Amino acid sequence: MKLEIRDLRVSFGGHPVASVPELAVDGGEIVGLAGESGSGKSMTILAVLGLAQTAGATVTGSVRLDGQELAGLSGVRLRAIRGARIAAIFQSPSLAFNPVFRVGAIVSRALRQHGLSAAQARERADAAMRSVLLSPDLLGRYPAQLSGGQLQRVAIALALALRAEVLLADEPTSALDVTVQAEVLELLRELRDSRGMAVLFVSHDLAVIAELCDRVAVMRAGQVVEQGPTGQVLAAPRHDYTRELLAAVPRLRN
Amino acid sequence: MADDIVLDVRDLRVNFGPVRAVDGVSLAISRGPFGVALVGESGSGKTTVGRALLRLVPAAGGTIAFEGQDVLALRGPQLRAYRRAVQIVFQDADNSLDPRMRIGATIGEVLAAHGLADHGLAGRGLAGRGLAGRGLAGHRKAGRGAVGDQVAALLAEAALDPALASRYPHQLSGGQRQRVAIARALAVGPRLLILDEPTSALDVTAQARILALVRRLRDERQLACLLITHNLAIIPGLCEQMVVLYLGRVAEAGPAGELLARPAHPYTLALRSAVPEVDAAARRSRIILPGDTPHAATLPPGCPFHPRCPLVVEICRTSVPQPRTVAPGRQVACHRADEVLSGLRPPGAPAQLAGEP
Repeated sequence: MKLEIRDLRVSFGGHPVASVPELAVDGGEIVGLAGESGSGKSMTILAVLGLAQTAGATVTGSVRLDGQELAGLSGVRLRAIRGARIAAIFQSPSLAFNPVFRVGAIVSRALRQHGLSAAQARERADAAMRSVLLSPDLLGRYPAQLSGGQLQRVAIALALALRAEVLLADEPTSALDVTVQAEVLELLRELRDSRGMAVLFVSHDLAVIAELCDRVAVMRAGQVVEQGPTGQVLAAPRHDYTRELLAAVPRLRN
Repeated sequence: MADDIVLDVRDLRVNFGPVRAVDGVSLAISRGPFGVALVGESGSGKTTVGRALLRLVPAAGGTIAFEGQDVLALRGPQLRAYRRAVQIVFQDADNSLDPRMRIGATIGEVLAAHGLADHGLAGRGLAGRGLAGRGLAGHRKAGRGAVGDQVAALLAEAALDPALASRYPHQLSGGQRQRVAIARALAVGPRLLILDEPTSALDVTAQARILALVRRLRDERQLACLLITHNLAIIPGLCEQMVVLYLGRVAEAGPAGELLARPAHPYTLALRSAVPEVDAAARRSRIILPGDTPHAATLPPGCPFHPRCPLVVEICRTSVPQPRTVAPGRQVACHRADEVLSGLRPPGAPAQLAGEP
């Protein structure tokens, strides 16, 4: 398994907010983490990134990347992994880009931080932009000059340029139009299929999960209530909460 | 027939400088309970249409008639009366509720501003303070009670605990805040409710509850609704009619059920196929539109949709398709509408969705 989470517990001042006994994502696989706002999905993602502690949380348990334990790694060693091997994209791409820098400057700064020369960084960035179907010219623009969908694709391009093996995607399409969402989902499928990326995909929308994910874990109030192959879980949900989430999905035909 | 129309919009145009953001949009909303969906992506001009209807942005041309009155000519008290009859709920309740006012004061303010508060309480200060629970003397206390009752009834109607009146917006969830925005809109007894992406900021569970609430209010209060959305999946059950906008122009209009089941415009087809589906069988027809909506400032020649259209042919690049009637009550602006109606689909997309009649 590429990414393995075991007995992960995140709490604030003794109050538990997320508890994941077991969750694994293999290369070439997209695993969904589903649940409502406040169910603990995003906190799980932050804990995997080693960032939950910075928000004041207490984290226990194990997170392994290719068998290597990440819990307890020093800041320096974790920084070398975070970004370079585990990348993350978030719900609001416009908040992920500093508005006063050109997009290219933000991308190349990240690449150079992970040891690339300026020339290498430029070459990688251009290639990555093309592979998410964006013109490298957009690197010369400011974040505000790009649409939400374009910015989200730049964020994915950055993960590609860094040769990340694991992508953590926290509601990456919730702020986008359905048409743009369809494009981003297609792109994520392609990353899985052609690059063998391991993707952990967080969403409140089981229809999106159904479209994209090979397996799914459903979270409620910080607990994983059900987990399994997506088709199986959605066709025959065993937990009432999964049924509730399914019933909430709006349908064209009813 | 014309008597049944609450809002009649013809050939509406809105310009932002040289940009023709809305160009020749027509739509009619029947007396409630009735719903019209205004559909399109970001940049399609749908929000601008909503704002122009409320006269929040000036119309550059066309006519808007509300219950027979010329809306564009309304002034002073008549304009106020119109804005009471037509209310809007915005996408982002975080930004449409004053963070410094308690929920009760926010709703009480609207009642006072329109002179609807019981016991003649006028002005934001009294309604606000009364509901904030500060000590007020004698007759004002009576007023506070009455306005408090009005607010409590409105909150209850929006399926909220009346006790939330004493809370601030940040103490509520996103779904609760949107219910408050709906309760506030109902406070003045509107006959037409404009809902601008009312659920886009919410997760699907909160969305389902808001949609159920709107459906109930629509029927109970005999409301006419204009639902502005990019997501076709929230239309069934709420809207009888549907207007699809692309770059400020009407691509397709007609009965919602027919457009959803059998689109005549490739853009409607693409919007429909972009809706995520739980059922595996329904998912095989994905049409990915290349690129984002172009800006209305750089309108392509010919059909505005042709650079992204999966069914583009030569004529689309040079000639602007005019709206024409393809079936009773259905207008489409597409050179290939008849072919699409008879089952033409882009390569890779099956002619029929699973589960389609």
